[in-house]
Amino acid sequence: MTSNDQASGVATYAAAVRAALSDLPSDQANILLEDLEDHLREIAAEAEGPLAERLGPPEQYAKELRAAYGAGQVNTRRQDPVLRDLQLARAWVTGSEWYRQVRAFLPELRPAWWVLRGYLAALILAAAFSRGYGLGPIPNPTTKRGLAEILAMGVAIWLSVRIGRRSSTLPQVGRFLAVSANVLIAFVSIAVLGNMHSFTYSELIGTATPEQAPFTSAFAAGPIANIYPYSQDGKPLTNVLLYDQDGRPITVQQSEAQTSYPTGADGKAITNAYPLTQRHMNGDLVVAPRVAFPPWPTPSPSPSASASPTASPSPSPTR
Amino acid sequence: MNQAEVDTTQLLKGVLDLAVLAVLADADSYGYDVVRRLRENGLEHVGDASVYGTLRRLYQAGALNSYVVPSDEGPHRKYYGLNTRGREALDQSAQTWASLSKALNHLLNGRSNGHDK
Repeated sequence: MTSNDQASGVATYAAAVRAALSDLPSDQANILLEDLEDHLREIAAEAEGPLAERLGPPEQYAKELRAAYGAGQVNTRRQDPVLRDLQLARAWVTGSEWYRQVRAFLPELRPAWWVLRGYLAALILAAAFSRGYGLGPIPNPTTKRGLAEILAMGVAIWLSVRIGRRSSTLPQVGRFLAVSANVLIAFVSIAVLGNMHSFTYSELIGTATPEQAPFTSAFAAGPIANIYPYSQDGKPLTNVLLYDQDGRPITVQQSEAQTSYPTGADGKAITNAYPLTQRHMNGDLVVAPRVAFPPWPTPSPSPSASASPTASPSPSPTR
Repeated sequence: MNQAEVDTTQLLKGVLDLAVLAVLADADSYGYDVVRRLRENGLEHVGDASVYGTLRRLYQAGALNSYVVPSDEGPHRKYYGLNTRGREALDQSAQTWASLSKALNHLLNGRSNGHDK
């Protein structure tokens, strides 16, 4: 038996004995059971074999212990098995080496929590102030907004660590507030983090032309492969350039069709001029779909915003 | 527990205190060592739980001292030893035992070896 097996065997047996004696008043039980683990460890170390084999079942051991200690009548009423199992489980967990080690280690994690808590608090504040802004877990240092976020996080972390270090000198009220704040931050930050866009790599390293990741739109039934713009009076538009709220060109997902982008004067493909020119695998042009125009309240002929005619043919709609 | 152990436990109920005190009078001991010494001295079937429970009770009653001996290779061990009260209790019980056992032996009159009378 490895010493780890031994140790856990002792712990299990001891926990069972404790559970069987759990009906004793706790001060009596403590005195009686104080050396139990050490004692069992000696027995286990002396020879091979599981403890139950050499000492009998733990319930029997507990009965004998109780009798020898003279600790009051054995409770003959049958203990509710569910309750007994719960007590057994609890005794097993709290007596276990693992549990004791974890509990001993937790205080070392406190400073890390202070830092995390400061970061999360700043994040929550940023989320509260960023309607429509793409908030990410790491602020973008190339934007003014991102720099402000970084500064706020620094301040928040500093504050949080200060409070954490002084927490032992806080009055009762202060400590209660701190604990409530911890819980609140933990819960709210889960919600905030869950709703975040994740950064694309290019945004993170601040490339010169940050392309927006092809968006899977929330307001379409499925992924968007092309966009067909029309003017208010129903004329199809061509080469409409689209940008998002941050000024980035809007691109769409690749579809099964082949998309050919017009090439700009600088040699780069223009990817946000709609509708895109697309061909099916067999070479046929992708035709514009049937669309249903919404009824405008006062039909006013607005000048159609068609761009200059291009070489590529534009598909005509059907009403 | 087998039958011999059950019998031993029954008969020993009164005298285990005396036996444990006697063992500790010779030398201080830790829990399992007491069990071992009892068994070596003829009480083969004494229950481990009974000895441990008795030790704790005697300690609680104030008849024993205890101290921890640190050890390099093994766990620290808690040793028990008799204090003054314990020694007095031992002497008194020993006297009682002497007269009791004399009476019992007389009554049993050689039955213990399976001889019929």
